Amino acid sequence: MNEIKIKSKNLNVYYGEKQALFDVNLDLNEKEVTALIGPSGCGKSTFIRCINRMNDVIDICKVSGNIEIDGVEINDKNLDVVSLRERVGMVFQKPNPFPKSIYDNISYGPKIHGKGETKSELDEIVENSLKKAALWEEVKDRLDEPGTGLSGGQQQRLCIARAISVNPEVILMDEPCSALDPIATAKIEELIDELKKTYTIVIVTHSMAQAVRVSQKTGFFHLGKLIEVGKTEKIFKNPDNKMTQDYITGRFG
Amino acid sequence: MTKEERLKKRHSAEKRFRFYGLASIFLALLFVLILVHNIFSKGSSAFMKTAINVEVFFDQELLEIKNGASDDEILEADFFDITIESLIKVYPAKNVEEEDALIELFTTDAEIEIKRAFLENNNLIGKKINLEITASDDIDQLHKGNYPRDIPEDRRRISDFQLVIYDNLVENQKIIKNFNNYFFKNGDSRDPELAGIGGALIGSFYSIIICLLLAFPVAVLASIYLEEFAPKNKITDFIEININNLAAVPSIVYGLLALQILLATIQLPRSTPLVAGITLALMTLPRIIIPCRASLKAVPPSIREGALAVGASKFQSVFHHVVPLALPGTLSGTIIGLAQALGETAPLILIGMVAFVVDIPSTPIDPSSSLPVQVYLWSESAERGFVEKTSATIMMLLSFLIVMNFLAVYLRQKFEKRWN
Repeated sequence: MNEIKIKSKNLNVYYGEKQALFDVNLDLNEKEVTALIGPSGCGKSTFIRCINRMNDVIDICKVSGNIEIDGVEINDKNLDVVSLRERVGMVFQKPNPFPKSIYDNISYGPKIHGKGETKSELDEIVENSLKKAALWEEVKDRLDEPGTGLSGGQQQRLCIARAISVNPEVILMDEPCSALDPIATAKIEELIDELKKTYTIVIVTHSMAQAVRVSQKTGFFHLGKLIEVGKTEKIFKNPDNKMTQDYITGRFG
Repeated sequence: MTKEERLKKRHSAEKRFRFYGLASIFLALLFVLILVHNIFSKGSSAFMKTAINVEVFFDQELLEIKNGASDDEILEADFFDITIESLIKVYPAKNVEEEDALIELFTTDAEIEIKRAFLENNNLIGKKINLEITASDDIDQLHKGNYPRDIPEDRRRISDFQLVIYDNLVENQKIIKNFNNYFFKNGDSRDPELAGIGGALIGSFYSIIICLLLAFPVAVLASIYLEEFAPKNKITDFIEININNLAAVPSIVYGLLALQILLATIQLPRSTPLVAGITLALMTLPRIIIPCRASLKAVPPSIREGALAVGASKFQSVFHHVVPLALPGTLSGTIIGLAQALGETAPLILIGMVAFVVDIPSTPIDPSSSLPVQVYLWSESAERGFVEKTSATIMMLLSFLIVMNFLAVYLRQKFEKRWN
């Protein structure tokens, strides 16, 4: 078992009057893939958006409780979200490359964080990030073409490369394959398997099969509560909770 | 109702709708066509002017200057006698009344035109040259066929004798049609043959530039702040409602506001493009903010999230990603706002731009006219010559508007990025 990277304690999230998460206590291990499953609207996405404070963008969203990364509290008003997000990258449900060239998509992050002072350093970061995202071979000859011109799967790998480019410690993935076809999905899953050697990965998914394939640990959410968490094998073979059992066998959700 | 009947009904509903749509478009086009035809048929003749070929003899006895005189000397010199002598030779006149009638056929600026010819070539003393002297507006209108000659003489501005001279001149091919450079070069004048939109063009140009310089930055910054940074609460809702209200305020109200504040309180010079620009900027501001905010709103939130997720600050995500994407929409909104401002008349009348200004303004704080106000001024004038000038000015105004609107569409289509 790897060391704990991210620890949430009594995490509550409210959207205005509506409470979206109830006392979530969840530990995520370093250099491991944790899958979060559960029916729509159960709070999985809300949970991972707390880890890089993306919920700050939503005016009515209030977060209480604690989240620690490497033992440091991040749910703190005085924390600089810019440096937090440099450490915690995110990949969204729908590929959202910037309407700029492939090169600019990758080089944007390093540029604003002052990484890659010279052109050659930036070139190197772009090449490495694209290689890590298994996209380099497909795009190396057309780095100046718009990122939005790639196929859906390529766009998503571009977004992963973009997240990798600032050399984060954690990568959050919010249903990264839900807009992709099975072949593109398989490629992303392979990639996740490779990336977990370097990064701590949290993936929200609606596909049980995907959770089984890519993750070592699985958490099941229902109506804003973390129902059960454990090793992926155990959750899918022999869950403790009846609700988990019902969900993974497709009786509801 | 059977299935076939229902299907038939659905098809006929669709057919009916298509017909209504086509009919509406046809009707709208018809109105545009009537408008354009009306303006063109009245206005196109204003781009030509009538001139009369006159033989001018630069008689040393009638002029106080010599060959090779300097420009200043020429400008000082009196060319009146030479002008009169030349003009009355166009047709043999028997007495002073007939000579006066002859002189009336020409523009009041005939002396200036002769002087100008001498300025171009100051070696003309003792020589005879043929000059094309602009005709009076009555002859101009008569020659363009806008003046009825079959009404009784006492109700005509042209006497029977003048008509005889005119016919004689036409027969001898002394009457010429030239390109009307006065229309573009000159300021306003009481004489239609000399009146031009030069002053109004410059005045409108200055006003719009000042309007752009004031309204664009303020509108863009206000929209970016409201759309991207301001918290969504009752105060911002209130501001939003009021921006929409301001956009609907009749333009004359802005004119009254400018009259009270800019002219009466701050005492800025009246009738000037500066005041016009500020007034138009006030009026245009909400009309630019609305499309600006709409184009900011149209940038998908996923772009903002993408930027934030790699660690861009709020400011960076807005200015590196959202604003560049919203720029085409912002620019076209601004141009359309300016096009509206260009055609605005009422507030300019209130701030005194309706004054009769002959000089062409050289700075934005000189009294000036503007294109729409010039239309208004000339449409009220009694002289027949101003009818075509009014329509021609409208043609100029409309062509500017069309160019601006095309530019807006072009900018939007050229630079708008597509995203999935």
